[in-house]
Amino acid sequence: MTTVSMRGLTKRYGGTTAIADLTARIGVGVTGFLGPNGAGKTTLLRCLATALAPDSGRLVAYGLDTAVAAERTALRRRLGYLPQDPGLYPNFKTAELLDYVAVLKELTDTGRRRAEVRRVLAEVGLTDRATVRVRKLSGGMRQRLALAQALLGDPELLILDEPTVGLDPEQRMLFRALVSRLGHTRTVLLSTHQTEDVGALCERVLVMRAGGIVFDGTPGELAAQAEGRVWVSAEPPSDAHVYWRNADGRYRTLGPRPIGGEPGLLSIEDGYLTLLGAEAAAAGSGDAERVS
Amino acid sequence: MRWHIDGDMFAAYQRGDLTPSRMMAVDTHLQACATCRAAVPQDPGWLDASWSAITEMLDTPRPRPAERLLTLVGVPHHRVRILVATPALRWSWLGATVSVLAFGIAAALAGQSGAHMTLLLYLVFAPILPVLAVATVYGPPVDPMHEITSVTPVAGPALVLWRSSAVVGLSVVIGMLGAAFVPGPGWWAVAWLLPALLLCVSTLALATVLPLIRAAAVFGGAWLVVVGGAAVAGSPVRPLMFGPLAQAGYLAAAVVAGVVLSARRRRLDPGEMR
Repeated sequence: MTTVSMRGLTKRYGGTTAIADLTARIGVGVTGFLGPNGAGKTTLLRCLATALAPDSGRLVAYGLDTAVAAERTALRRRLGYLPQDPGLYPNFKTAELLDYVAVLKELTDTGRRRAEVRRVLAEVGLTDRATVRVRKLSGGMRQRLALAQALLGDPELLILDEPTVGLDPEQRMLFRALVSRLGHTRTVLLSTHQTEDVGALCERVLVMRAGGIVFDGTPGELAAQAEGRVWVSAEPPSDAHVYWRNADGRYRTLGPRPIGGEPGLLSIEDGYLTLLGAEAAAAGSGDAERVS
Repeated sequence: MRWHIDGDMFAAYQRGDLTPSRMMAVDTHLQACATCRAAVPQDPGWLDASWSAITEMLDTPRPRPAERLLTLVGVPHHRVRILVATPALRWSWLGATVSVLAFGIAAALAGQSGAHMTLLLYLVFAPILPVLAVATVYGPPVDPMHEITSVTPVAGPALVLWRSSAVVGLSVVIGMLGAAFVPGPGWWAVAWLLPALLLCVSTLALATVLPLIRAAAVFGGAWLVVVGGAAVAGSPVRPLMFGPLAQAGYLAAAVVAGVVLSARRRRLDPGEMR
């Protein structure tokens, strides 16, 4: 069932087009957004969260048109948003900050609001930090607190922009468990640079580049984009798109088959790099060596 | 742990029959000895309920005097939370407000050649205080959590006006306290209130076009240049700018600005299409 639909969505900043004529339908479940920096992921999520108005196009979520003020307000009652830079008030205590956001989310009944604050604190494992000031929390705890505010009110539409930044491996596992559970009944939109998160969580992935969607499919289908282009060899290739040396001393190549190369296991990252080519390799391959 | 509580003492402990000193000794031992502690019967349901009650009691913030006062006059509790929390979002505005006021009073007292001049300088600076306050309540870069608060159901005009009310109210109180330090006759000490109202409402109206902080700079700056400049130049500013006719003009202009603000209020919502 479609819960979010966009048609011809466009947003420009001055002369730069951030998203261009986007059309897509999204349903219940976890949908991941991948793309290099500047691809338009954050702008799109901000429009979906109603933090930003598109210049043109139509955006409807749960039957509510974001261009209509009353419907936009109604949608805001049903969404939770974790922005890329949450910027939490440093002087507030953890529970106090959540209580404040809960008030803004119109949880007006004091008893219900406090119960909701306790629930989300427990969800993100911050119950024992309820009375600690935000400025004294570690980066990972702040990120969990930011996630907790998004969960207030049990929203049907959850929009998470780079949610795993600053989380350690254990916290990421807990985050994945939480999001996958929510994804059974809710629409979760997840922007990330972590292809592992997409593979672990998302039933569907949209890859963006230059403000447009260049891939729409399952994580398996994204990985399959690299079919016939992933190799493992003893010697480094001479004309690979991108390659690196594995821990076992062999070279993993993405590109034409190197001499003595054997087919390697496909990953989402391989599909992503194949799809976006040099642009993604430059932005996302980390310490990989590039040959072009 | 080399020893454990014997059966008789344990039974007496559970019945509550031990003397206070022995009770404390057993408590201390139980904290250190897992074996004896495991022998203490417990009711998990009662324990959880007790901890919940304690947590609830500890987590529930004590209402501050302002909170109690607003509740007393009938403001709903959730609105009280917005009003009371707003000044704490960024304490820097309060510093700026007090600084401007202190500067105004100091300038007035230092250049005092008579009560009239002192009062005039105070009247020039005081209306800026609420404008400074309003500039800090909403939108980037002054609100670090704007991205989150701007997608809540109360975002936009409602939140801007509630927050503005909170900080304007507080800055008016500060301004009135400052007036106590300025020598001057009667009602002139409050002659800055209507100009302040006009500047605040005009700032909010202009914020439907410009970012709030820029709108505040436009009107605050214009006020300082025009009225401050005239005062420094020795013009008859007080009767001209703060007399009854001028006050009526400020009120009328504030009403017009209020109408403009009301008509364009949706532009304060970042999700509104331009």
